[in-house]
Amino acid sequence: MTDDIELTLTATHGPAAVGKVTGEIDLHTAPGLRTRALELIDQGHHYLILDLSGVGYCDSAGLSALIGIWHGAQDAGGSLALAAIPDRLMRMLTLTGVDNLLPHYPSTADALSAHQGAPDAV
Amino acid sequence: MLEQASASEDGATDKRLHLVPDEVVEVGRMEAVRRYDILDTPPDGAFDRVAGLAARLFDVPVATVTIVDEDRIWFKAAHGLDGVSEIGRDPGLCGSAVLRDDALVIPDTLLDDVACGNPLVTGPLGVRFYAAAPITTTDGHKLGTVNVLDTKPRSISSEQTATLTDLAAIVMDEMELRLSALRTVRQEQRAAEAERAAREQAERDKAAIASFASTLQRTLLPPALPAVPGLELACHYHTASVHDVGGDFYDVFPLPAGKWGLFLGDVCGKGAEAATITSLARYTLRASAQHTDDPVAVLEALNSALLADVWAGSRFCTAFFATLTPDAAGGFTVELATGGHPPAYHLTPAPPETGSATHTRVEAVHPKGGMLIGAFPGARFASTTLHLAPGQALLLYTDGLTEAHTSTGTMLGDEGLTAFLAARPASCGATQLIEDTVGLLHALPEGASDDVALLALSVPTPDQAAAATGAGSTAHTAAAPAGEEH
Repeated sequence: MTDDIELTLTATHGPAAVGKVTGEIDLHTAPGLRTRALELIDQGHHYLILDLSGVGYCDSAGLSALIGIWHGAQDAGGSLALAAIPDRLMRMLTLTGVDNLLPHYPSTADALSAHQGAPDAV
Repeated sequence: MLEQASASEDGATDKRLHLVPDEVVEVGRMEAVRRYDILDTPPDGAFDRVAGLAARLFDVPVATVTIVDEDRIWFKAAHGLDGVSEIGRDPGLCGSAVLRDDALVIPDTLLDDVACGNPLVTGPLGVRFYAAAPITTTDGHKLGTVNVLDTKPRSISSEQTATLTDLAAIVMDEMELRLSALRTVRQEQRAAEAERAAREQAERDKAAIASFASTLQRTLLPPALPAVPGLELACHYHTASVHDVGGDFYDVFPLPAGKWGLFLGDVCGKGAEAATITSLARYTLRASAQHTDDPVAVLEALNSALLADVWAGSRFCTAFFATLTPDAAGGFTVELATGGHPPAYHLTPAPPETGSATHTRVEAVHPKGGMLIGAFPGARFASTTLHLAPGQALLLYTDGLTEAHTSTGTMLGDEGLTAFLAARPASCGATQLIEDTVGLLHALPEGASDDVALLALSVPTPDQAAAATGAGSTAHTAAAPAGEEH
């Protein structure tokens, strides 16, 4: 089990940004992920896409962090999209109905093109 | 003092007055004596050697190390005075020596105005020569003396007087060493005592906190399930740790027009924060259900209540809410809404021809689209209606059950739970269903690592109802109180 969670910015397209999350999201790491993502949103990356392909384990605290980030993006007038979601996390999102609210894509490229095709894209 | 007063009438007034103890000095001196805690301690080699050394150096029959108490002179060491441990504090010899800063030398006691009246002089010992150096603390208190005595008069040189003073200083050093050792021991004793007290307090606190959490937990749970005519109800509640107030909750309660309300849910998180959400959820669900027949509207009310709270959007839960309406056929119509909760299971006895391994038809009840409650404004909830016929059962649970690990290290999961339910007979009723499911959890290598709440309802067949009670009510309630499992 890792103590750290990493959120690295891998691409930016104007206010849209792709961040890759690496590690396990649990009670201990979730607050750090939330803080880091909210910082990115504060820095102007209002359309945040999280690449979750590097996430091993994610429990309800992780879900809580994702929802917190979603709220942060909404408050900034932007959005949160998820990409490359591992199966188990996807099941949790489906079970809790969160998949209805958070746009999710097979890959970050899909997420970016969906964002750029959107009418409010910059 | 009386002796001193009578002696003063003989003349030589100046010298004798000088020897009367100053009251303030004496109080300080006695405090110092007590500080070293030496009075009435057993004989001790170090002090005996000083007395013996003094006797040899001065070639006298008697040498002693004395400590002067309030009303007596106590011998810490006495060379040549067998069987004497203390004498009265009469003036003239040691009693006078501790009132001086320097050594007291009396070459012939019979020629000394005060010493000549001392019992050591007048008594059987017949002391004629006396020399003493005070044992003086660093802050100037005279505790007693190192002294030499002879039965014939003699004189000593200033070097010998200095030797006596050195011996007194050695005694003082020894006493300082002992005091510092004594202090260390006492400090350690006090530290050990304090540590023991702190440990006891911590244990008391721990017990109080556990008891508080357990009490709080009980207030968050229904004390017992109600008796619902025509329905068998059973539940199980287990918290992963007695120190944590769990975030699982459930309740069954009456609604107007002969209906019943029922819910089971799971707050994301643990401890006191989860408990406040649990409490808010329970009361909101119970209150909302009085105002609407629509289970979805009840969950929407809870969603609004959680979002209106100070933790808006950061504290949420999953839950089932259902209404039960008795129908003419002896069963219940169950209108069930979900907000992000794992599926419930509707259990029906399988027809005999289905095969020997399957005794029960297991249907997942999971209305599509129900979202987490309290996370999003305008969250949508989904509902479904099912009929619970005589012989059928419904099992609701929190994810502590499906997330428990099997012996292969994987989670029990929906598949594992479904297989377990299919392999046991459905017709046994809610109580047996809960007992069997708890048995399943206990059989797992680690048991349940998270909180688990289970709620089962079953409708007895007319035969079962008659067998259970003969006649009348058929309701059963089985509740396992919080935190008893581990």
